[in-house]
Amino acid sequence: MQHEIVARPAASVVKLNLDAGETITCEVGAMLAMSTGIKVETTSGKKGGKGGGLMKGLKRMFSGENFFLNHFTADRAGQTLILGPQLMGDVVHHNLSGTLVVQGSSWLASEEGIEIDASWQGFGKALFSGESMFWVKCSGHGDLFLNSFGAIYEVNVDGGFTVDTGHIVAFEDTLQFKIGKAGASLIGSFLGGEGLVCKFTGQGKLYCQSHNPPSFGALLGPKLKAR
Amino acid sequence: MSDLQFEISQRPDFAILTVDLEQGQRIFAEPSAMAAMDPTITLKAGFKGGLKKTLGRALGGESLIINTFTADRGPGEVVFAPGAPGDAIHYELDRNTLYIQRGAFMCHSDGVELTGKWQGAKGFFSGKGLVLLKASGEGDIFFNSYGAILEIDVEDEYIVDTGYVVAFEDTLHYDVTTVPGMKVGGKLKTFFFGGEGLVVRFSGQGRVWVQTRAVNPFLTWVFPYRPQPSNN
Repeated sequence: MQHEIVARPAASVVKLNLDAGETITCEVGAMLAMSTGIKVETTSGKKGGKGGGLMKGLKRMFSGENFFLNHFTADRAGQTLILGPQLMGDVVHHNLSGTLVVQGSSWLASEEGIEIDASWQGFGKALFSGESMFWVKCSGHGDLFLNSFGAIYEVNVDGGFTVDTGHIVAFEDTLQFKIGKAGASLIGSFLGGEGLVCKFTGQGKLYCQSHNPPSFGALLGPKLKAR
Repeated sequence: MSDLQFEISQRPDFAILTVDLEQGQRIFAEPSAMAAMDPTITLKAGFKGGLKKTLGRALGGESLIINTFTADRGPGEVVFAPGAPGDAIHYELDRNTLYIQRGAFMCHSDGVELTGKWQGAKGFFSGKGLVLLKASGEGDIFFNSYGAILEIDVEDEYIVDTGYVVAFEDTLHYDVTTVPGMKVGGKLKTFFFGGEGLVVRFSGQGRVWVQTRAVNPFLTWVFPYRPQPSNN
């Protein structure tokens, strides 16, 4: 599968060239445009929990806890597919070999052969209630595409590194992490505007984004009509 | 050949258009598109092209009013800025027709005729379907995107999500349809996804301009941040 990331860095999208039989999986809505020799199959994914009936699924979908996956398969050679994220920002390619934990809205697409588990709760669920944040655990080998809100930068953690949870795009699971507060006291941390941070230790790659989507959401939300 | 002097700067993420008008030259723009202008320019807001065309434009999602900028007190420049951060494209009409998606129209020169294109059920009842303006004649037209613009030269067939279509040449045949593979069950899904899954299938030969971001997915993203209603 060949790929090209264009319109970088603020309005990036990825153009994929699929050969006959090749499949790429992304969240419903990520497809901008494509050739006509591609078939789409939709399946249900789940965020942080068990499945359920259709109505349960729909209910979760409206509460932002469910998501649907589109699987694009080329039925002949030389098919193109253009995928893009919702927010302004960049797209990067990660050659997966092992396991990467990806912030839900940063996961753009992954090649067939990569297992996607959206029920990963390593950070605990309660911590992010009210923020539509979930995590996708990607395991296996192949091409993985991540997107960021704003710019994206890589950090090769060697020892320790602390990141605000909203700035995490993805990290290799060779890293150990602990959720904690930025300051010495919990109240102090929140008053200082720094909420929960993730303290990484060990060695591994970490992708961070320049802007924090929940912060942007919190900026816009109060100006909108109540649901 | 067009004699309009212009420059699109700050590309590709924050494109703005500067038009240099000669004395007496005019340009017609979407209201609110003007960001700055010389004092030699006169702005006249008004209906253009009669009632039928005006209503047609309104149905096409643009305002009833088209602003006319005339350099009647000497040459001068007008700066136009799109509503969303993104790119801007110049297209020269040579007695052909270009379709522009709702909201993407910026401005056009003399010689261009802009009308709404009645889509019937295809455009209006699909919710986030295709709502188009039709530009024809001879002259310059400018349109803008949310995000960058990709130019796709269709040679056979191509599919574009309705929300990402910016403009296309009328040499292409188009149909609003669902993504191949989505079947009867898919209809339900399409409904619940709020329009996602509806695509435009182009066939024939011609150019399509596709934007790399769309407004509706962004709104879907913002949705969970809206305040909860109070319970009392």
